[in-house]
Amino acid sequence: MAATLAARDRRFGQLMAAPGLAALLLVIVFPILFTLYTSAFDFTLINPRHDTFVGLDHYARAFGLAEFGNALRVTLWFVVAVVVLEFAVGFLVALMLNAVERGKAVYYAILLCPLLINPVVVGLIWRMFLHPELGIANYVLGLVGLGPVNWLGDPTNAFWTLVAVDIWHQVSFMIVLLLAGLASLPKEPYEAARMEGAGTLACFWHVTLPLMRPVILVTLLIRLIFAVRTYDLVYIMTRGGPGQATDLVSYFIYRQAFVGLNIGQASALAVLLLLIVLVLTAWLYRHMRSLV
Amino acid sequence: MRKLLLGTTILGLGFGAAEAQTLNILMESVPDTRFVEELLPEFEEATGIDVELEVVNYAEMHTKLVPQLVSPTGSYDVIVVDFYWVGEFAKAGWLQPLDERIAADGFDTSVYFDSLQDLVGQVDGEQLMLPFYNYAMGLTYRRDLLEDPAEQAAFKEKYGIELRVPETWDEYLQQVEFFTRDTDGDGNNDFFGVVNQGLRPDPIAMEWSNYLFANGGRFHDENWQPMLDSAEAVAAVEDYKRNLEEFGPLGAASFGFDEAFNVAAQGKAYSYLTYNMFRTAYDDPSQSAVVDMVEIVAVPNGGLNGAWGWAIPNSSPDPDAAWTFLQWVESPEIAKKRALLGGSPTRSDVFADEEVLATYPYYPALENLLATSHNFPVFTYTPQFVEVLGRELSLAVTGEKTAEEAMQTANAELEALLKQDGKL
Repeated sequence: MAATLAARDRRFGQLMAAPGLAALLLVIVFPILFTLYTSAFDFTLINPRHDTFVGLDHYARAFGLAEFGNALRVTLWFVVAVVVLEFAVGFLVALMLNAVERGKAVYYAILLCPLLINPVVVGLIWRMFLHPELGIANYVLGLVGLGPVNWLGDPTNAFWTLVAVDIWHQVSFMIVLLLAGLASLPKEPYEAARMEGAGTLACFWHVTLPLMRPVILVTLLIRLIFAVRTYDLVYIMTRGGPGQATDLVSYFIYRQAFVGLNIGQASALAVLLLLIVLVLTAWLYRHMRSLV
Repeated sequence: MRKLLLGTTILGLGFGAAEAQTLNILMESVPDTRFVEELLPEFEEATGIDVELEVVNYAEMHTKLVPQLVSPTGSYDVIVVDFYWVGEFAKAGWLQPLDERIAADGFDTSVYFDSLQDLVGQVDGEQLMLPFYNYAMGLTYRRDLLEDPAEQAAFKEKYGIELRVPETWDEYLQQVEFFTRDTDGDGNNDFFGVVNQGLRPDPIAMEWSNYLFANGGRFHDENWQPMLDSAEAVAAVEDYKRNLEEFGPLGAASFGFDEAFNVAAQGKAYSYLTYNMFRTAYDDPSQSAVVDMVEIVAVPNGGLNGAWGWAIPNSSPDPDAAWTFLQWVESPEIAKKRALLGGSPTRSDVFADEEVLATYPYYPALENLLATSHNFPVFTYTPQFVEVLGRELSLAVTGEKTAEEAMQTANAELEALLKQDGKL
């Protein structure tokens, strides 16, 4: 009797999960498989048919594309910069906010504002702020005798300007996630540590960090994956320039698909990017778990 | 006109009784679109066809159009086509030839400028589009400064020639140098001889094309053999870089046309080489501090031509109504009304119209822009070539490549794209 009940429960569970799984199959698995399939054909929007099989040609060509190599390099630096900086800033702010007793809602509301703005709007606003001649950023710097800064017209500056705007936009995501983690930590280990005479720093290193590891892992992973996908900011603010300083890989793939109309080649690049992100994610996941 | 009315009456009989027809058109948010929008009630009244304009930014247009064009039935009855998509759209066979309709209704296409017919009218002898408006580039400059006797005397003393509307490229470059100044003595220039639009890909590629022509260079010869590794092309890159670095505002390497225009419109630059539609905007006090101080002239040796064309896509749900609209919007009456609102004409009869000339005394200068302009290479992979050119120019401007290196790469990639297209 008990077995049939369990079996029935299982069947019911499968039934309930089926629509969700079907939806995932449809919107995630199918497009990925279709991308894989398309990447092996000379499929362009001018001739949108799977009629010329090219095998792995698109993959081979991808490695010969100097622009793709550059885009991967720029993306790597960009991802490392935004994830590390946002994590550092985010964790610091989260720790400070965790100690706040009153008015937390107000801080939350202020912090969440940038996150609510569409990235395209963020890009447009900052382009205006950072106009070297007419923008407010250089005007304010001028009032205190600094500048003018060439925010987007110089390759190095443009890269770091992009990183800074991304931090402005996305750091609250880190804060909110880490803060939720901090708020859910048990009080007992801290009390025990205090009893043993641990100071604030020791508490942080030996209690907070180990307890927070799962949250930190998830936060970093999500942010990393999002950062690899960054496209809107570049599109609005720099178009990959000046030179090739901000040519992120998502924007490069977009150009292959919608400017070059070469969907086959773009699909191959997208598959490569997916593989890179998967490997990176797996490595980070294992590495963080082994740190126990 | 009678035929048009007759046609619309028949249409009205056919469909009017059932429900109102609606035409969907995708357009770019530019002044000329606004002028069409203002006149739409006349069309709706005359034909009973409702028009829904979907107006988006340039950056979104191509991405929005292509999926609609690929599918058998799209959502747009009429589209507008930028000249550098023409090769691609024609190759893909996305546009309906208009020749039969033109012949049947006696629509006169001989009034269009030849250079515009080449650019956004005919492809290989087939009329795929009607030229909508032109955005040939011209040199906008501060007339008030040019005509200032004190400036004229100082210029003559420095260069030994008169300060006048530039007729040669070297003369213009000297004026750019001459007008670049540090007016408040803080060691930084704050008035600039020129403002450039150095953003990748199309702003820099389009603007630099003028420098190429001005230096006597060309993109390719009559047989499509690329010519970007020529000494003229390299000199054009060097001119561009010097103007941007030494005589332009900080950050011009990242300016799109709106940012560059704002610098010029705020009275911070002597000149800006730009699309002719901005000539009208300089006289609009809501966006300009230099009303009545700016004039436009053709770039020495002729600048870059540019235009949009009307087209009926193969995926158009209602091509007959679309053609009715095209005949209306490109009729002499409506083309003239659009010009009177400030539009950039494509028809010679509009340029010759007395009322238009009385309203806009600078239209002969615009006509001259068109007459002397050169076309950008139009082939299947033009958008990709714009990307390549934009990237290489930007690399040269930021000093990551020399002018020679950049032009050699651009030349090689242009050649590869032309081969891919079967032009070579």
